[in-house]
Amino acid sequence: MTPIVKLTHLDKYFGRLHVLKDISLEVQPQEVVCLIGRSGSGKSTLLRCINFLEEPSAGTVEVDGLAVPAGVRGQTHNQMVHDIRIRTGMVFQEFNLFPHLSVMENIVEAPVIVKGMPKAQAVALGEKFLGKVGLLHKRDEYPNRLSGGQKQRVAIARALAMEPKVMLFDEPTSALDPELIGEVLEVMKQLAREGTTMVVVTHEMSFANEVANRVIYMDEGQIVEQGPPERIFTAPSDLRTQQFLDRVLVKDVMLLLQKDSPQNRTS
Amino acid sequence: MTTNALPVQTQPPPKTQAQLIYEQQQRAQRQFTLSVGISWGILFLLLGFLFSGVQFTLGPLSLKTIRVDMTFVREWAPFIAEGASTTIGISALSILLATLLALLAALGRLSRIPAVYAVSTFYVSLIRGTPLFLQVIFFFLALPQLGIILPGLWAGVLALGLNYGAYMSEIFRAGILSVSKGQREAALALGMTYDQMMRRVILPQALRFAIPPTGNEFIAMLKDSALVSATGFVHEILWRAQKVGRSNFRNLEALIIAAVFYWVMTLVFTALQARLEKYMARGDR
Repeated sequence: MTPIVKLTHLDKYFGRLHVLKDISLEVQPQEVVCLIGRSGSGKSTLLRCINFLEEPSAGTVEVDGLAVPAGVRGQTHNQMVHDIRIRTGMVFQEFNLFPHLSVMENIVEAPVIVKGMPKAQAVALGEKFLGKVGLLHKRDEYPNRLSGGQKQRVAIARALAMEPKVMLFDEPTSALDPELIGEVLEVMKQLAREGTTMVVVTHEMSFANEVANRVIYMDEGQIVEQGPPERIFTAPSDLRTQQFLDRVLVKDVMLLLQKDSPQNRTS
Repeated sequence: MTTNALPVQTQPPPKTQAQLIYEQQQRAQRQFTLSVGISWGILFLLLGFLFSGVQFTLGPLSLKTIRVDMTFVREWAPFIAEGASTTIGISALSILLATLLALLAALGRLSRIPAVYAVSTFYVSLIRGTPLFLQVIFFFLALPQLGIILPGLWAGVLALGLNYGAYMSEIFRAGILSVSKGQREAALALGMTYDQMMRRVILPQALRFAIPPTGNEFIAMLKDSALVSATGFVHEILWRAQKVGRSNFRNLEALIIAAVFYWVMTLVFTALQARLEKYMARGDR
């Protein structure tokens, strides 16, 4: 099977800072890969290199068979980057919906402008994906009238409307109030069930545990350890992974305890 | 629990502390606005008195206010007022040109292409480094020497537009920079080209940001347009005031009339501007 995403010997420098060190990674069709790790470990940068929001310093990015080497400039390079971006959908931590456009306009914008799709066809597509994220009734609202969770679901629908080969999620729930995280994760779980290829940078360990086919732990710009969640979460082989998981899982348990505490149950 | 209470005179519920504090604040605000209004009235009366022509003596003190020739005012005020449409017209044309130039200059200033960046900064530097008055008469007096003869109106519009464009480029640059990085990234991630991103995502948001300050520039332009009178061929307010003032030896009266018209126009457009700002600020964030 040809991988949807294939990174080969990827390096990334920010000035003198070496943030990605010789990363090689393949994502298979319908696979859900979760990237976990401390902040500053390079996981977001890795994700952003896939669609060239960050230009890799060395190595090759291949998406759906289209290989783009790093460090090249010029018109053909721009064209290839453009072609890669059309094949990838991205969801950001801060949603980044277009505030001057309504929900439906946000969604049809790229299919119409970038792909040249007829408006009516794009709207039909928009209705389909808005329905999927459960927000068809908000089609004419403006983003500032939506909750954070709703905004993120619209952002997911907007990315899906380009019918990408792979969806990239960059900490999609980190900017959300705790009570709004669930609705976004629910949509993502549904996408995973439907066979969407996904690469997810996340701090939601329970989500990774439940949905991921593979969990990758990153530290200091390197892939330290990867494998199925059952193994990573229960029997990590690397000490750094263990320590990281100990810390975040303790936090998760504390949150759970808080949720179930008597003060919260009786109101 | 009684479900069928007798119909009693319903009393308004007692006011909460929040309501009381709010009302107190409202009262204080109204009081302030009223006091400012009264003070403005008094200042108007004082100004009027200064030009009333009244003479009186208080013991050793002899006071004499400025005498205004009211016959002249009645006779010539309409003639000077006719210049208002020209003043507004020049300002509107110039602000259109300035907006266009400012937008181009701002985009140039943000460009990574050296030549484009250079042209933009060169233009802004040249214009901001020379007096507006010089620029106005340059287009009218210097260009004919090169065989380019512009009608006074167009020389004025060109000078004012070029000048304001240079200053306003900062407004547009700030507008473009005010659009968050996330908006660019979202547009690029969706596969938009730089042009598409600018036209569809960045500029619509940047222009919204730039509209209220552009209104302010228009108000400033109303007054700077008076410089065009120096060409002698544009019959706007100040030109008319000078013409009738000189020929009748009534410069004081003529200039006062002109000043009043400029002031009134400024007040009117400032009020419109305030409304526009309120309208632009609705919703959002």
